[in-house]
Amino acid sequence: MTPGALLRSLWTTDPQRVARQYLWGGFLFLLVGGLLAMVIRFQWGWPGQPVPGLAWALPESGGAITPPTYTAVFTMHGLLMIFFAVTPLLFGALGHFVLPLAIGSRQMAFPRLSAFGFWAYAVGGALMLASFVVRLGPASAGWTSYPPLATPAFTPGLGQTLVTVAVLCVGVSAFLYGLNFVVTVVRCRAPGMTWGRLPLVVWGLFYGAVLNVLFVPVLAAATGLLLLDRVAGTQFFIAGAAAVGGGGDPVVYQHLFWLFGHPEVYILILPAWGMVGDFVAFFSRKPAHGYRLTAGAMGAVTALSGAVYAHHLFTSGMAPVLGRTFMVLTLLISLPAEVMFLNWLMTLWRGSVRLTSPMLAALATMIVFGLGGITGLALGAVATDVPLHGTMWVVGHFHLTMGAASFLAVFAGLYFWFPRMYGRALDERLAKVHVVASAVLFIAVFGGQLVAGYAGQLRRLYDPYQYAFLAHLLTLNRWTSVAAFLLGAVQLVFVVNLVRTLGWGRASEPNPWRVGTLEWTDAGPAAVVLRGPHALSQPEVQQQLGRDWIGQAEPLPSGGLAAEPVAPPVPGVEGAG
Amino acid sequence: MPASSDSTAVASTSAPPDAQTPLAVEPSRGAWSLSPPENASATGDRIDALLARSHGFDFALAAVMLGWLLVAVLRFRGARKVAPDGGTRRSRAWVLGLALGVFGVVDGTLFLGSEGYLRDVLWNLRVPAEDPRTVRIEINAHQWSWEARYAGADGTFGTKDDVVTWNDLRIPAGVPVWVQLVSTDVVHGFSLPAFRVKLDAIPGRVNQTWFQAAREGAWEAACYQHCGTSHYRMRGMLTAMSPEAYAAWLREAGRQAAQTYDADDTAAHWGWAWRTP
Repeated sequence: MTPGALLRSLWTTDPQRVARQYLWGGFLFLLVGGLLAMVIRFQWGWPGQPVPGLAWALPESGGAITPPTYTAVFTMHGLLMIFFAVTPLLFGALGHFVLPLAIGSRQMAFPRLSAFGFWAYAVGGALMLASFVVRLGPASAGWTSYPPLATPAFTPGLGQTLVTVAVLCVGVSAFLYGLNFVVTVVRCRAPGMTWGRLPLVVWGLFYGAVLNVLFVPVLAAATGLLLLDRVAGTQFFIAGAAAVGGGGDPVVYQHLFWLFGHPEVYILILPAWGMVGDFVAFFSRKPAHGYRLTAGAMGAVTALSGAVYAHHLFTSGMAPVLGRTFMVLTLLISLPAEVMFLNWLMTLWRGSVRLTSPMLAALATMIVFGLGGITGLALGAVATDVPLHGTMWVVGHFHLTMGAASFLAVFAGLYFWFPRMYGRALDERLAKVHVVASAVLFIAVFGGQLVAGYAGQLRRLYDPYQYAFLAHLLTLNRWTSVAAFLLGAVQLVFVVNLVRTLGWGRASEPNPWRVGTLEWTDAGPAAVVLRGPHALSQPEVQQQLGRDWIGQAEPLPSGGLAAEPVAPPVPGVEGAG
Repeated sequence: MPASSDSTAVASTSAPPDAQTPLAVEPSRGAWSLSPPENASATGDRIDALLARSHGFDFALAAVMLGWLLVAVLRFRGARKVAPDGGTRRSRAWVLGLALGVFGVVDGTLFLGSEGYLRDVLWNLRVPAEDPRTVRIEINAHQWSWEARYAGADGTFGTKDDVVTWNDLRIPAGVPVWVQLVSTDVVHGFSLPAFRVKLDAIPGRVNQTWFQAAREGAWEAACYQHCGTSHYRMRGMLTAMSPEAYAAWLREAGRQAAQTYDADDTAAHWGWAWRTP
């Protein structure tokens, strides 16, 4: 291939090829971030001992993790996972793939923005990897990069600067696909694809994209100002001994960061919720229970998401009036989440449940998200947040929701759409083993973190056993680490499945899951959408076609409209009409 | 300049307050213990009770969720007859009602319990402000230690007998302790796990909190906000003494401080105005 042709194939504006680029990029960073997680777990199980196989990277300590290495490791783990693995896999890969197809559009609204977004992400990723090899090492101020710690006075070196630029790059990418998704859903839906007929995953991607457009610029503002503090001598966030002259205010950064950082949680989980909603309906062979309620609940969470952010700052000494306000708003957000969850459970009830691999992954997502959500309740109320704040309880809570739930949803989506993406179906048995083992081990690992946190273990401690009141947690942490290593090992099942399928897999059926959404049943560019995504088990369809599903754009021979699931408008819930 | 502890009758027999020595302490509790750290605060039982209740909710909700899911999957796996609609008006009303009910009970309990604690304790700085016995401490967080300043016998900050300690907090038991918290360099998190106390130390800001020891003893102070390489070693000891022992210690430490007072050492003379709520 000539260089020119290579370049042209890399600069692709086809959303499905952009999706594949994001998929492989996301997996690369998932691997790096996952290995870093293993290192953290090793340190907590066997503090200060040489990590097997790491002597090449840390020759001075013979492979043992030192405090400076440790700070870099957990910082890079967080940044890589959130910005370079989970979000790109959900939006970049699955989003670019399914969103245009599912609404009956061949293209994104702005195809070149898709390509540009991917390359912004790739440049950011390259900077992240480059930071590992510069002098003084990569970033080490935590994924939140709180100043003044993240300023050169306390974290010198090129690594932290490179990482700050990398976050800006990935912010550009996230903003661009967010914008692209919003405009695509608003403008490019096929005729007849009303808002009330969108698959729930499109709702999830749409809401998530809205949040990207609204809140990623806030992150860019915080990161951009921090970058100026690092390289241009400004003092937006510097106070105390490091400040020369007037100085700035570190708390402003915290507010800006969490005004993005909390919606980011929902950016990650909304597409996952959408997938769960759809898959539970598909594989219960019945319409989603309370479709409008679910879409409305997701909208309510989206609307509230920015208004709860300051519960991250309950211990920052904020004014009581703010603390109370954010406590109420934070607790309030659990209400739509409950409505949504109960709708999923009601969809299963009296369905005809088929435990395929996407379904198992969706159920696993439900379970880990449920556990993660429940353990967040105590963090929403100020009084119970105080003892748990900054402990492993918080770490366990957000790893269950943002880590376990998002990843299981990524795998649910991948197992579901892989036949459409690559024309080959992944092996069902391997997929099921992978999903079930991952879910159990996710709960073991993050459950172990919850227990350690409830017992008081603070997060981010290089050696927690320096504290007498934490010394007894070594055994627990060691077992949690063992579960984490097993979790890492189980991912090899997925790799084997992937390699085997791509190398030697057989061609899959055109619609292996027998569902009616447009990515499986598109009748062509002139298709007119006639019904919602969950027209399953409709009596007249069964009578006339002899199957329990019908394409969203497929006319019934008799001409009758196969059941729009009956859903009278629900007063008081914002509109999915 | 830590005061010599053998000149006082410290009630506790704990390890010396030295954050630089790794510990060789026998585990005090079982490895799988679900209990929070030992409570030494006079008000901590209120938080603990609320936390335990929220823990109970966690278990109950998780059991219902998992149970419902499991029963649904097992009972309806491959079932023949399927409802062809997205629920009836009634079933959707049930969902809304159930969600509202759970929300009302679970979130309502947490809100009311939390609100009561905030009103009476956490944000009620009138308690230490109005109690004549209250002891005031100014804590300045550094990478990586806790510098504490006591007003000395004259009860006024900024005088010759100000006592300064490092990683060594001394308080009388049974008396409100009012803490004014600042940081010199980066953001730190001041926490006394045994007292359910947690508050950020932020450069350029003065934060306040208060607590009261229920009994004499020694407990650890920890930093919970990542503050750099040796964050994990930012460990201090808090010793709660009998009021008499505390007074004796403060008198002796203040006398020594006054002897070594250097008027030209301006760096040592930090302090922030106490603003009462």
